[in-house]
Amino acid sequence: MPTRPLVIRYEDDLKLLPGAWHKAGAVLAVAVALAYPWLASARWLTVGNLGLVAIVGAAALMVLTGFAGQVSLGHAAFLALGAYAVAVLGGKLGWPFWLALPFAGGLSALVGVVIGAFALRLKGLYLAIVTLGLVFLTQHVLLAYPDVTNGLSGTAVPMSWWFRDETGAGGVPLGGTWTVGGVRLTFERKLYFVFLLLSGGAVWLTRNVQRSDSGRAMMAVRDQDLAAEVLGVDTTRAKLQAFGVSSFLAGVAGAMFAFQQQYITVEPPFDLNLSIQYIAMIVLGGVGSVFGAVSGALAFTFLSPLAETVGGAVPLLDQLTSAQQATVLLSGVVVLVLVREPLGLFGVWLRVRRYFQAWPFRY
Amino acid sequence: MTQLLQLGISGLALGASYALIALGFSVVYRASRLFNFAHGELLSLGAFLMTALAQVLPWWLALAATAALTGGLAALLERAVLRRMVGRPVFTTIILTLFLGLLLRAGIVIAFGADTRGMPTPWDAMAEVQLGDSTVLLSSLVSLGATTVVLVGLHGLVQRTPLGVAMRASSENQEVALSLGIPVGRVLGFTWFLAGATAAVAGVFLGMFPRSVDSNLGYVALRAFPAIIVGGLESVVGAVVAAFVLGLLEVLSQAYVNPHLGAFGHNFHAVFPYAAMILFLVLRPRGLWGEHEVRRV
Repeated sequence: MPTRPLVIRYEDDLKLLPGAWHKAGAVLAVAVALAYPWLASARWLTVGNLGLVAIVGAAALMVLTGFAGQVSLGHAAFLALGAYAVAVLGGKLGWPFWLALPFAGGLSALVGVVIGAFALRLKGLYLAIVTLGLVFLTQHVLLAYPDVTNGLSGTAVPMSWWFRDETGAGGVPLGGTWTVGGVRLTFERKLYFVFLLLSGGAVWLTRNVQRSDSGRAMMAVRDQDLAAEVLGVDTTRAKLQAFGVSSFLAGVAGAMFAFQQQYITVEPPFDLNLSIQYIAMIVLGGVGSVFGAVSGALAFTFLSPLAETVGGAVPLLDQLTSAQQATVLLSGVVVLVLVREPLGLFGVWLRVRRYFQAWPFRY
Repeated sequence: MTQLLQLGISGLALGASYALIALGFSVVYRASRLFNFAHGELLSLGAFLMTALAQVLPWWLALAATAALTGGLAALLERAVLRRMVGRPVFTTIILTLFLGLLLRAGIVIAFGADTRGMPTPWDAMAEVQLGDSTVLLSSLVSLGATTVVLVGLHGLVQRTPLGVAMRASSENQEVALSLGIPVGRVLGFTWFLAGATAAVAGVFLGMFPRSVDSNLGYVALRAFPAIIVGGLESVVGAVVAAFVLGLLEVLSQAYVNPHLGAFGHNFHAVFPYAAMILFLVLRPRGLWGEHEVRRV
């Protein structure tokens, strides 16, 4: 029994959903995603929104690190740029969010391509440290112009008119809740569907990058850049494309995060820890696949509140703050996954799938 | 001029601590080919251990015990976790050491609490020495001196002793070293022990007045990164030299560059080394003394 669809033509290799498994999985994922906001409580809906933000951010990092092999610790810098771009464009210039969002991505992509040009000659750890420096520089720049960014005290992120929280009688905020035909659309739910669209788009984009020639060029650079160049791959272009796509999506993710939070400061959240979290997501999910980015992002975001719940019950750990407890438990999980399952959740999924496809035989 | 001398000495003292950190990073990188992001937490652990041990032991003995314990923990980390990572991609080791660092930090908070502590010193913590016209903290001078002693001692160890030869051989080529009868595993362990011990010493000196010991002390190691990169990852000497330059640069730019940049200059000295590093790497991508890698496809 074949364990993957037989590929005999080039077009088969390029299919978006190559097999019945993929189609079934995609349908299931869409169904779950559409049902989620009606089933989840308010707290878990917020977690879901953060999860969708994380999917976009992780997909962005997956393009750069997973496909093109450029290790970046500077992801937080691009997220910060996106977040502050929508905050400033919305707050100072009064742009609606749907206009500010792509602009935030564009700004971040511009910075990404410039940094990418700097990074062309750097490899591995050198690149990692330079991108780490980018985080510090971005923080410094954002804090150095308090007229624009409001400095240390942070800035509010306005949403567009049809999202804005309306103020009812006596100054009571209504939270922008609509009732459409007996269905309550709260702010979080509206946000959820917008985010779902955006993260679906991001996943679709990264999947297309992965299966197209530009993605294959990136992977050639990742696996052996010298050989890729000898074979005629334009490594400069591949790297710059990876930086561009990655930082565009990271900017969008940062903007989404800003809309979700409604009020942002520079540090936290936009520090080295955020970069680490995103690397942890793609490592947890499995480096080099879009499925890895999505599953890693979701696993990471949904584990955090769980870890906070569990953390209080563990002796010794209860001395820490709840955020620290979550960090400890998540770090433990990540370290274990790295040591025991190098391919991450993607590897687990491969093994499960192989088991069922070969059933009742074991291999 | 007086101010310049004063700043120069405090810059060198800061550079001395950076040099110890850079040394730890560099020897570990040469031996295991991985960048130990948990190094900063080892430093922080050393500082906290010292505050506890100095209560019960004489100061110098406590320093030795701290170095030995932290080094032991580093060697244990290498043996238990990181040796399984041989041959895995670069970002795997980066993320693993980052998360080990987070775990260590949490362990430190659990064991020692989150309170800020002062670093005990056998001399008066705020004692000053008159050098010509300028006054310098005694702690700065001692840290400069102690670091120099440690660096010279390590240089002798690596260059002159059989153990040092074994270390150099295993970092050159592990398989050949193994076939020549060098116990590469134990040498690796010793390398990590050295890195941990030097990190602890750096932590002790970095925790002294005017700074203090708290759970964020480990972030100092991040400040030493530009030195390691500019010096060249493969070169221990390069990293140490660059670390001294970095310390000077940081202190001097705080005094002479920040005021000229207006609002932008506030805290600029903290990121100045990074900006300098990025510009520098554009010119020399493998650092000052880094080896130019020759590869076959």
